[in-house]
Amino acid sequence: MTAMSESATKTAQALTVEGLTVHYGGVCAVRDLSFAVPAGEAIGVIGANGAGKTSTLKAVMGLVPRKVGTLRYGDVDLSRVHARAMVRHRIGYVPEGRHVFAGLPVEKNLLLGAYVRKWNAETRATLAEVYEMFPVLGEMRGRLAGALSGGQQQMLAIGRALMARPRLLLLDEPSMGLSPKLVEEILAVLLRLRSEGLSLLLVEQNAKLTFEATSSCLVVENGEVAMRGTSAQLRHDPQVRRIYLGL
Amino acid sequence: MQVFFQTIIGGISLGAVYALVALGFSLVYRTMGLVNFAHGNVVTVGAYLASTFYLTTKLPFALAMLVAIAVTAAIGLVIERVLRPLENRDFDLMLIGTIGFGIVLDALVIMIWGATGRAVPSPVPAAPIELFGLRIRTYDLVVLAIAAVATVLLVLFLSRTKRGAAMQAVAMDHEAATAVGIHVGRSNAIAFMIGAGLAALAGGLVGPLLYVNPALGGALGIKGFAAAILGGFGSIPGAIVGGLAIGVLDSFAAGHFQGYSELVTFLVFTVIIMIRPTGVFGERTVNRA
Repeated sequence: MTAMSESATKTAQALTVEGLTVHYGGVCAVRDLSFAVPAGEAIGVIGANGAGKTSTLKAVMGLVPRKVGTLRYGDVDLSRVHARAMVRHRIGYVPEGRHVFAGLPVEKNLLLGAYVRKWNAETRATLAEVYEMFPVLGEMRGRLAGALSGGQQQMLAIGRALMARPRLLLLDEPSMGLSPKLVEEILAVLLRLRSEGLSLLLVEQNAKLTFEATSSCLVVENGEVAMRGTSAQLRHDPQVRRIYLGL
Repeated sequence: MQVFFQTIIGGISLGAVYALVALGFSLVYRTMGLVNFAHGNVVTVGAYLASTFYLTTKLPFALAMLVAIAVTAAIGLVIERVLRPLENRDFDLMLIGTIGFGIVLDALVIMIWGATGRAVPSPVPAAPIELFGLRIRTYDLVVLAIAAVATVLLVLFLSRTKRGAAMQAVAMDHEAATAVGIHVGRSNAIAFMIGAGLAALAGGLVGPLLYVNPALGGALGIKGFAAAILGGFGSIPGAIVGGLAIGVLDSFAAGHFQGYSELVTFLVFTVIIMIRPTGVFGERTVNRA
């Protein structure tokens, strides 16, 4: 995937989020959250169910109503950018629970990932790169996405996001419901993407996966940052070990 | 045997019209996950517009139809635009909104064209063609051909174009579609526009077959709705098969039960749906209202 990595490293940008708040009716899901994803880095957000992880990611994408002090990607102010335009700023989104287009074939799903690009030879080249990365998708290209297994759907969801050639990828619980072996595969994919220069923002319940895939993390509780540090520090923190690693 | 085939032929042209109505229902459902209850009323509007351009403005039949389709498609756009704010708030409200639009359109039709109907003469020679001892009206063949062309175009649009794929993606996952950059509102607007265009096509074609009156769309709407369900709601081939099946069923029921034909048609329909609730080509791709 050389073409993808070149374009990513050359123009990698930092994502800056300051004072992010999300309300659902009267319930506050995320309160005054601030963090940054430096260019080419992988940042993790861990926390229990309902801690506000998914809301954080959706709020960055603009998929839920939000209040935010600063939302910047490089020089671009994203605070007024509509969710559908994020992809044009090279920000990809892999939703929780895959959300593939179940009634369409695998290849159509991938091509739709490149919706904002022209469906030309260049896009075909990206498609070939995605098939190279996920050979199983190539084998299943004519199958309906809804007929794939959970692991394959997760690969498809990641592949679909890669089709737009993002420089920053927001991933929501890619390990959800997958077997330990498949979680290993997801980890390998994430490490590969990192090595190719993509920035990652990874939201996960699986703290072990997150610590291995990222350089630093936030621990979110009740919509607020409870702890932050490098992944190496956090994985040895006694409290984190007890609550999130079950050790 | 002769009578049997003649009865089938008698039902096929109306069946093709039901199929067009069913296509409109299915397209909007497939691309938005919404049942457009104003669809039948849009058929009435289309029928009146086509007949007005044909009889009053004296445009050639084909041109009158095209103008009617264009005007009706614009009405479809207006309906979507007005209902759009409801989409993210409450999908059920949007559904009810379409019922409201149906009532408004019905009232407008009566205000503009009056409560009485009009007969539309056939645009092609009325003399039937004799084939293997069967009598086929030329106009029936025209209806069949146009319905077939419209169906093929629609299938090609959905399966071969980027826009068509994007529209189906919107119905399957509205949020994932947004994340890949699809403008959901625009996609819905196009679905409504094509749906309304199909309604006008059905209404325009049925003019010379039935009496154009304010209740026309209601009758065609319910038959088209039944056809869509029979074929499998949201399925394009299902809409065609369902439409033709209801048309032929109608024709047999009319031959054997006269005044009770509608009752018999819907009884048979009910039994089939009880046996196979998903319809002939039933698939589960959409899970919104």
